[in-house]
Amino acid sequence: MEEKILEILADKCGVEAEDLKEDMDIDLFEEGLLDSFAMLGLLVDFEEQLGIKIEITEIDRKDINTPNKVVDCLVKRG
Amino acid sequence: MFVLEKIAQYAKDENRKAVIYHDKVMTYAELEQFSNAFADFLLKNGKDKSPVVIYGHKEEEFLPCMYGALKAGRAYVPVDITFPADRLEMVLSDVSPEFFVTLRDTDVAVCEGTKRLNVNEIDEIFKSYKGGAIDSANWVKPEDNCYILFTSGSTGRPKGVPINRANIENLASQLIPWCDIEASTDIITNQISFSFDVSVVSVYMGVSLGKTLYTIDKTMMETPASLYEGLENSNLSFWVSTPSFAELCAMSEHFNEKMLPNLKRFLFCGETLTHKLVDLLHERFPNADIVNTYGPTEATVLVTASLITREMAEDQKPIPIGEPLPEVEFRIVDSEGKPVKEGETGELQIISDNVGHGYYGRPDLTQKAFFETESRGVKKRGYRTGDACYQCGKLYYFCGRMDFQIKLNGYRIELEDIENNMVKVENVSRAVVIPVMKEEKVDYLAAFVLSTKEIDGPKLREITRIKSELAKLVPNYMVPRRIVLCSSLPTNTNGKVDRKELAKQL
Repeated sequence: MEEKILEILADKCGVEAEDLKEDMDIDLFEEGLLDSFAMLGLLVDFEEQLGIKIEITEIDRKDINTPNKVVDCLVKRG
Repeated sequence: MFVLEKIAQYAKDENRKAVIYHDKVMTYAELEQFSNAFADFLLKNGKDKSPVVIYGHKEEEFLPCMYGALKAGRAYVPVDITFPADRLEMVLSDVSPEFFVTLRDTDVAVCEGTKRLNVNEIDEIFKSYKGGAIDSANWVKPEDNCYILFTSGSTGRPKGVPINRANIENLASQLIPWCDIEASTDIITNQISFSFDVSVVSVYMGVSLGKTLYTIDKTMMETPASLYEGLENSNLSFWVSTPSFAELCAMSEHFNEKMLPNLKRFLFCGETLTHKLVDLLHERFPNADIVNTYGPTEATVLVTASLITREMAEDQKPIPIGEPLPEVEFRIVDSEGKPVKEGETGELQIISDNVGHGYYGRPDLTQKAFFETESRGVKKRGYRTGDACYQCGKLYYFCGRMDFQIKLNGYRIELEDIENNMVKVENVSRAVVIPVMKEEKVDYLAAFVLSTKEIDGPKLREITRIKSELAKLVPNYMVPRRIVLCSSLPTNTNGKVDRKELAKQL
């Protein structure tokens, strides 16, 4: 599960999943890896590929601004 | 009638709302008063008629400063906060303004002779003014520029596109019928950054019709919950945006008729409108119609408009860019400049009084893109769009660019602009930027970067370093999402970088 989440996230950030694993607390927005459009696209990808639906009105940047938080958020809902 | 006259007219109705910005309301009377105040300040303190550069985002002072400049006979140059300091400096050095309004803090260096006015000083000017209307003899004349917008340039330096009052009045006479819809409350979106010309639809047409501009700014876009809450409370009747912004909103299934029960029309401009979005909006907003428009900044916002019918939505062809406005002539020509047969693809040329007069201070670029010609027996200006199009009946269809210009989320970007700035980043010797397509439009940008440094281990930090260095040189939306570090680039038989081969690797 975590593996798949990171793959989807890495793909949206345009980096390798292996590289993200080395840096699980990197701030995805501060470091320019995600923006508003990519973030929303990410939620669509999670729904399509993992069947986990996150309503975008219930999520904030600060809830998913690092790979660790993204994994936590998805695992909780999965 | 020019927008300034209309503001004065609506100002007589004390309660008429002009702008909603978060929980604040600015009435037409205040808009009139504040713009008079700023114009009066410019007339009393100014020595020349240089354009006023306004740096900010969607602050409530922005619009009164824009109209105030026009009332004082000056153009304005809106620069959004997406412009990094380096780019803002280029704009300032090209324009050499006497007045530079900073609604947001910036430590950018200014030229000698430029006076900075921060937001507190602007508020003070607005507050302390006790005078009346500004004599229209001071206003911009038909041949005077109203605004100069700076857009991505292939050399890595932005180029300014000036548009004069005659261009705007000409557009208004043709576009206002498309914006004048009956609605119990007439509220229009004010979402597009003022440095991007689709905002002209709200700023000139919306205000000329006395509509209320409902502001959606960057902070709302960054927290989806507040964006939807704002939309829910907006009571919007007229939607104008890029298709990308509507796509973003549509990611929540609550974006539908229940959220915006008064919405009568979507007007789109700035990039390809996809079948996917049209179908979705038809389904979620059965009582709203969709108008697609098309046009380059150089020809004043837009030069086509067409109602998108169910028939067009069901057609296999792309959604048309529409039918030329009444005073616009289209020619589609081949590589030798000769007209092609109907249905054949060629470069679209726009012939109209809507076409501007060229690039600011760049006669070399102007000469390449602009020309004079006869249309229906009258001398007109023409513009070579660089867009590949074909005609089918009355409608025109867009099928891509003839150069390296692209549209990403509605932003116009020259790929070479990014490449030429990327090589300024330390350890980058060469960069090639490739647009990655999804369905009918560009999804994101990828850059192949030749690095002069060997990287051992994870490349993430090197990639984020390149991104953040590049973000100091170009707006954020121009920073490629994906960066691929490589030690060589494939070349084709001419010795040029093989972009097709690179695209295959993505």
